[in-house]
Formats: sequence, C-alpha cells, structure tokens
Amino acid sequence: MNLLGNPPRLTLLFSFWLLLSSGSLDAAEKGQQGVQLNIGTILASNESDDFDPKLSKIKNQLEVIKYRSYRLIKEENQKVPWNGNAAFEIPGGRTLMVMPQEYRNNRISLKVRLLAGEKPLLDTTVRIRNRGNFLLGGPAHEEGVLILSISAMTQ
Amino acid sequence: MKDCEVIESSLGAWLDGELDRSEAERVRIHVQECPSCLGEKERLERLQASLKGVLEGGASGLAFEPFWDGVRQRILERKPWHARLWDWARPAFYPQRLAWAIPLVIVFLLGILSLEQFFPGWRWGLNRGNVAAVDSIDGHGFNVAVFRESKTKTTVIWLFEDQEDENESSGESASTDSSF
Repeated sequence: MNLLGNPPRLTLLFSFWLLLSSGSLDAAEKGQQGVQLNIGTILASNESDDFDPKLSKIKNQLEVIKYRSYRLIKEENQKVPWNGNAAFEIPGGRTLMVMPQEYRNNRISLKVRLLAGEKPLLDTTVRIRNRGNFLLGGPAHEEGVLILSISAMTQ
Repeated sequence: MKDCEVIESSLGAWLDGELDRSEAERVRIHVQECPSCLGEKERLERLQASLKGVLEGGASGLAFEPFWDGVRQRILERKPWHARLWDWARPAFYPQRLAWAIPLVIVFLLGILSLEQFFPGWRWGLNRGNVAAVDSIDGHGFNVAVFRESKTKTTVIWLFEDQEDENESSGESASTDSSF
C-alpha cells in the first residue's frame, strides 16, 4: 500500500489524525489546567447615579438588579485545580469559598460557600458556562449591598 | 541468438533515432556483424519507405491549409475573461488536488471554533448560554431567592441577610428550593 503515492488516501488519514489530535488536545488541556476564577465585588446602592465604567461588560446584567449606583470595590483572580478550594476575602469580614468540581458539556460546576467570619451564610452548587458568570448578592455593606460576580474559565 | 532477439526489438527505435548514443552504437555494431539482423534492418527500411510513399501520396490530396488556419485562429483567438479564469482554476478541481480541501476545511472549522477561546463571545455574544443552573442551595436560615433574566441570560442568587431574625422568630425554615 503506497500511501505517499495516493493523495486522497493520505489526505483522509491526515484529516482523521487532525480531528483526533484536536479533540484529545482539547480534552487534555481542559483536564489539566484547572480553573481560573474571577470574583468581582460590587457595591450597589441608591446613594448616587454613578456607574463604574470598569463594570461596563456586565452592565446589562447588573441592570436586572434595580439599584441606581454600581461600583467595583474589589476584583480578585485565582487559578484553582479541580476540587481545590479558593478563598476570597469579601469586604465586611466575609469570605467566599469556591471549589470547581467538574467540567462537562462546556459547563463548569462550582461549589460556592459564603461565610461571615466562621458562620456559613450560603451554600450552593452552580453550573455555569465556561467563561460565563452568575451574580450572588444581598449582603449589606455600607449604604448598600454587595453583589459578587463569580465567573470561571478553563482553557 | 538471444542477442539477435534483443537487437531486433530495438531496430525500429534505432532507425527512428530514438535510442541513446551507446545503445545505438551497440545496435549498429551488431547489425554490421549479423546477417540476420542486417536483413531485418533492410526489411524495416523498405517497409518504412513504402509507408512514407503511401502517406505522402494520400496526404497530398488533403487540404491541410484550412485545417492549420483554423488551429492558428483558435490559438490567437482571445478568450473571454471567465473562460481564461476557468482555464486557470480548473487544475485546482482535479480530484487529487480537491482531496486537500478536506483537511483545509477541517483546519478552517477548528480555527473558527478556537476563535471563541481568544475572542470570547464573538459568535453569539458574551451572554449566549450564560444561564447558570443552580443544582443545590442552602441559606442556613436566611431567605434566598434565585432569579433568571432571559434577555441578558443573567442568573442572580440573592441572600436576604437582614431577614434572619424574622425567620427565626416565625420558626420558618429558609428556602432551599432553587426553582422559584
């Protein structure tokens, strides 16, 4: 069987190899590299009409919550291995613990725990799209409330 | 004898001048020394001469001039641009070359898919499919609300921290259902 002398057969083999390698590389990368977590802490209030331009990317999401003013007061990134725990300090003596659990169907499963000191306030398990986010809000802070934008990304 | 068979098979090519120099020399020397091959050579020469005479006699009756005029005209004729373009592109559609289109298409599609990695949201917007699925939720005594906004695909979990006292006094359990 002379493969080199048969361009169509060689092409089909090359195509097959290309598909296999792209799929396996993708899966391998996603499996190994863990998750990049991004937590944006936003102070929402009705004290003014100011909108922090740093929040422009999620402006339409924040508009779902009917406050007049939004200010990004903290942003933190952490790279976490699968089933590893990441702790984020939230203003007001609170802590946000996030554990990425699994990646399936382009969705990342996150176990999220919000604590006030040692006291748990909320435990939830959420599946978000890769590079997607969800908002966790409600804790009072200064003259408003805190909204946490929790996003996760795996390569 | 075997030599003669080989030489005889090369005689036609030799007479037509199609052999390389060393081969032609080998045939020439053999023909000079071998009466049988010499005879065969002379027979071929006579045959060629007869054929030439017949062809030339027949061809003289044919009108070659209009034929060559037509060929010349077709060579000099300027084709329309689309015909020239097709002439230029046609080799690319030969089956052997067309086969390379398969990996090319695959590479192109993989490229499109990987663009999402470098330019998130370029295809369908950042919020496409952004609705989060809440598998479980526990407010530890606080009221919790989950709401989704379909237009912006936003999922919000809201913790009613200031209602703890009210819940405790009324004895109601906190909401643990994510489906409202």
